[in-house]
Amino acid sequence: MGNSALKMEISSDWGSAEIAVLKVSGFLDFSGIAMLSKFFDRIAEEKWSYVIVDLVGLEAMCSAALGEFMGYRKRFVERGGSLVFAGLSGNIRSKLTLLGANKIFSFYQDVRSAINAYKWDYKKQSKSVAISFPADLALVPPIRQFASRLVRQKGYSVKDAFRIETIVDEVCNNAVEHGLGGAENTVDVRMSVDKEKIDINVSNKSAPEKVAVLRELTKPQTRGTGNHVGTDDKRGRGLALIRMLSNDMDVDITEHGTTVHVIKLREE
Amino acid sequence: METQIQITCEEIAGKANARIVRFVGDLDATNVDYVTEQITNYFSDGLVKIVADFKQLRYVNSTGLGVLLHFNKSAKERGGCFKIANLNENVYEIIEIIGAASLLDIYDELNEAVAALN
Repeated sequence: MGNSALKMEISSDWGSAEIAVLKVSGFLDFSGIAMLSKFFDRIAEEKWSYVIVDLVGLEAMCSAALGEFMGYRKRFVERGGSLVFAGLSGNIRSKLTLLGANKIFSFYQDVRSAINAYKWDYKKQSKSVAISFPADLALVPPIRQFASRLVRQKGYSVKDAFRIETIVDEVCNNAVEHGLGGAENTVDVRMSVDKEKIDINVSNKSAPEKVAVLRELTKPQTRGTGNHVGTDDKRGRGLALIRMLSNDMDVDITEHGTTVHVIKLREE
Repeated sequence: METQIQITCEEIAGKANARIVRFVGDLDATNVDYVTEQITNYFSDGLVKIVADFKQLRYVNSTGLGVLLHFNKSAKERGGCFKIANLNENVYEIIEIIGAASLLDIYDELNEAVAALN
């Protein structure tokens, strides 16, 4: 059985003027490098800076072609973009990895994943989620675990995810503990995560007569907010922990309710 | 919808009033009452020297930390101790950040904590 003929095709209707997808299928050996050069000359003439090479139909790639891709990648990096691979078969991925290409190129499952990564890495796009739950302590663990999974999915380290899980847990616990209970009084959590930080807002309703008490509790000098704890109290350390784990925190208390806003920078 | 936590207890040869208590899961506001009841029962049964094995304790929050400090104090008041071993790095960071590392009796390894029992 002979090798499939080499085919290439450029498309650019991917929702961003900077993105081009070069679909390469068939057998890319030394004889195909001229065709590759022709296509990349065309790409270089345009304003595309982020090129996704879609290898879904690729059967084989010679090391000389990989060398060509390295040269093209350099060109797009200089434009502030990159060249990445998507849709690699197991064999192609293994071969490229063996050649050390995984240390230079990013590999993505498919074109859509590569586009999402572009929006995340280059456009600093954020992912936002909003969750409302009845003011019940039993519902806090799944919320905090969701926050941890969300940032892990976005590439945050296990340690950062653990710290974020702790912050979300403590803020939500406080919202439930100090806010109005019952199914009609929800705790509203909004999280916006980007490559560099997570922005967390947690709001709850509270009784108007508790405003003064809550304001006193949230003062930085109040018991439980320093890092010297006593052994007598089982509670009262949550706010201190949030302050120490986060990079910025403010609390807005009105007669309608409380909103805690925390910013946590990605550290690792 | 409590967070899963399991507590199991193991005797220590030659130490009738001591036990190794293994924690598995997350220690948080949803299960501190259960954990407090279990440990308090051990104290009430005269098992006042506890070595808490945290090897499989994934998570602890400020409420969980509060009860650990409480166990430490209660055990000492009864002439015993509450030693903690095998903390994971993340849990240790929480304990340290809140300033409780110096208040708790923490050991790297379980056998060190057991050996330190009087």
